[in-house]
Amino acid sequence: MFLKFSLRSVFYGAGGGNDIQWCFSQVKGAVDDDVAEGAVLSGKLPEILLVSVPPSLPPPFLPLWVLIQMKIHKRISALRKMKCFPCQFSNTIKSAQLNTSALMSVSFFDQADIISTVEFNHSGELLATGDKGGRVVIFQQEQENKTQSHSRGEYNVYSTFQSHEPEFDYLKSLEIEEKINKIRWLPQKNAAQFLLSTNDKTIKLWKISERDKRPEGYNLKEEDGRYRDPTTVTTLRVPVFRPMDLMVEASPRRIFANAHTYHINSISINSDYETYLSADDLRINLWHLEITDRSFNIVDIKPANMEELTEVITAAEFHPNSCNTFVYSSSKGTIRLCDMRASALCDRHSKLFEEPEDPSNRSFFSEIISSISDVKFSHSGRYMMTRDYLSVKIWDLNMENRPVETYQVHEYLRSKLCSLYENDCIFDKFECCWNGSDSIVMTGSYNNFFRMFDRNTKRDITLEASRENNKPRTVLKPRKVCASGKRKKDEISVDSLDFNKKILHTAWHPKENIIAVATTNNLYIFQDKMN
Amino acid sequence: MSGNSDSFRSDVKRSWHSSPPRALTLDRYMLGKGGKRKFDEHEDGLEGKVVSPTDGPSKVSYTLQRQTIFNISLMKLYNHRPLTEPSLQKTVLINNMLRRIQEELKQEGSLRPVFVTASQPTDPLGDNFREAQPAFSHLASQPLLPTDLVSTTPLEACLTPASLLEDDTFCTSQTVQHDGPTKLPPPALQPVKDSFSSALDEIEELCPAPTSAEAVAVAAETAADDSKDHPSESSVQKPEGVPESRPAEPKLMDSLPGNFEITTSTGFLTDLTLDDILFADIDTSMYDFDPCTSATGAASKMATDELLKTLAPYSSQPVTPNQPFKMDLTELDHIMEVLVGS
Repeated sequence: MFLKFSLRSVFYGAGGGNDIQWCFSQVKGAVDDDVAEGAVLSGKLPEILLVSVPPSLPPPFLPLWVLIQMKIHKRISALRKMKCFPCQFSNTIKSAQLNTSALMSVSFFDQADIISTVEFNHSGELLATGDKGGRVVIFQQEQENKTQSHSRGEYNVYSTFQSHEPEFDYLKSLEIEEKINKIRWLPQKNAAQFLLSTNDKTIKLWKISERDKRPEGYNLKEEDGRYRDPTTVTTLRVPVFRPMDLMVEASPRRIFANAHTYHINSISINSDYETYLSADDLRINLWHLEITDRSFNIVDIKPANMEELTEVITAAEFHPNSCNTFVYSSSKGTIRLCDMRASALCDRHSKLFEEPEDPSNRSFFSEIISSISDVKFSHSGRYMMTRDYLSVKIWDLNMENRPVETYQVHEYLRSKLCSLYENDCIFDKFECCWNGSDSIVMTGSYNNFFRMFDRNTKRDITLEASRENNKPRTVLKPRKVCASGKRKKDEISVDSLDFNKKILHTAWHPKENIIAVATTNNLYIFQDKMN
Repeated sequence: MSGNSDSFRSDVKRSWHSSPPRALTLDRYMLGKGGKRKFDEHEDGLEGKVVSPTDGPSKVSYTLQRQTIFNISLMKLYNHRPLTEPSLQKTVLINNMLRRIQEELKQEGSLRPVFVTASQPTDPLGDNFREAQPAFSHLASQPLLPTDLVSTTPLEACLTPASLLEDDTFCTSQTVQHDGPTKLPPPALQPVKDSFSSALDEIEELCPAPTSAEAVAVAAETAADDSKDHPSESSVQKPEGVPESRPAEPKLMDSLPGNFEITTSTGFLTDLTLDDILFADIDTSMYDFDPCTSATGAASKMATDELLKTLAPYSSQPVTPNQPFKMDLTELDHIMEVLVGS
């Protein structure tokens, strides 16, 4: 284990996130200012004005009631825009009243472009992103050319496809969002690439294949596909493959549907590469990649009486090496490790990881901020990392009663929890990731900041993903948030943080120091400075 | 006919989920700073202290904070009408928060079975409330319930114990007695609606034909609501959701939401039958826009007052508490005209 770590650390110098100098590499996505005024939202309708009729109103007053209701709704929406709330309505109209000291900015972009997941494949050559509009965009790293040895290949769009479409649940009269919640790559076995993508209800296995040759010279068909009149065929020829422009095709190979009553929050591919799990709020199902019409339920925490429900599943993952082990985290800050060999239904955990609450930090929001939003095993399989609202914790699988390391991401927000509860930011689900050698962990924060913690040197760094450092190979400047009191130069005070600009999704290349950081609708790629 | 009532039902159900003026609630939750929302001021007022329930002087801020959080939680649960299913995790967390606050309130309620009177209370909470009273003495200059307001029900029966859990920090007048938190109000109406429909419900319920006990509860709401709205310039703002939350609290103790099941009705509404809403007696005299001098008329003027207040949340001229009855119907006409015309 130690040997492995030290070999890796040689790769990028005398180990440490702070010895890496991170440089801007690329940014993908629309620039906010380019969006034209009056841009129309795609897909979603704004909140429909409700006609709520108090039944005691006599009929003649019905139209008046409707009118009043509409006026009030209009007024409310206008007010809401003024206060710059992140709701769909506020994104439509460019409001002239942006002079308030809004805590949150209003950006004008298509809601469908909001990035909802980012994932490198196992080699790191491909980078997949999913967005709120149900699309998957895959970027491919260019092959490094010899002339530019001081920079790694850039990521360019490789394939774009619509993975999920919005659906309507007629029984409940509710929409099923097409937003991609998670993407997981399968390891490559042949020329094609496979990935699993999921929205709230349905998981799909996509095959991404390249085509760079096509057959020419059919006997019965013209080149454009029209059928030839058989009587005009006088000679026979053998069709041959001729090269063509590279075409990347994505086709859905399997659709795993109708297995989840609640919203899917995680998928995880087993180390046997044959099965995978999908977790929703109350249940976890085990699937075989080849079989779509049934799945096994391995965890079920739904109580008999739904009114007694106090805990939900927030994330789940298979162990990277043991194909029988998986963990799932809950909204109460616990992680349960289960062994599928123990029983068919893994309701009884094998290990329960929970840190006792710190009594000095108790508040109304203790439970909410302890809710775990992401759990990730280390590549080695010895540790796992959990992300709750304010911190990142690293657990040794052999020790259940407390984490071995805890890193505070944005402790300065602890005194703002009430406001963050009010504006729903406290429910934001931040993800976290390991680097290839498990020595550095990274997670996102607000104001487009993201944080890295070096486990060896115990140092941390805060960086910002913004277009201001636009030139490639510009070294990112570390940022600092000042919690209280005097603000030094270049520091940002907590009050001027923009809570609308949050980095929820980050990914680290499995082998190199390349990171992909997703702001709301842009994808930033940073890499370390190579000499 | 059945078709009509069906649409009524669905509309009625949906109205519980119509969205509140969110900007409004923010200002209300601020400790009366008014104007722009400032992060740090809010924090100093509400969260700066690390309070525990037993601290003496900070008991007030703890109670305040708790109540604010309670209200915010209720608003979140009931005023969100998404096109897609709401997140179960969020719902569960908010419900847990509400439950916890309820448990605390229940425990506190059981500590002081009798509401603090002007005479000596012996429990520590009473001391704190007496300390709190000077702070809030500028509130509630009015007696809690203007007697000419509600014509139908006696004062004491109106106020619910739960309402007094709140009132204790706000009023100096000790005119109300009750039997303690064990006496729960009759099944209450929907606990939180957006302010507009709540105002309109108040109008409905002020009709002098309240055969059900619901009218009692709502009349209490209205009455107490007035006392809250009167000192509108006070340093403590209460959202419109507060009156509804009081009858809701005992209701909550019984059945926290079955709204985990995604249906259009929630657990809070389970004992409310739609028949009560749909077929309650209607007094149409309210809708005659002639000035009327009867008690109903006075009540309707009061309701109008409420209606206006909810219709114009940002009016720069607050409706002063001393003239709730002077607003006549011509002004209502004018406002309606403005609304309709704009």
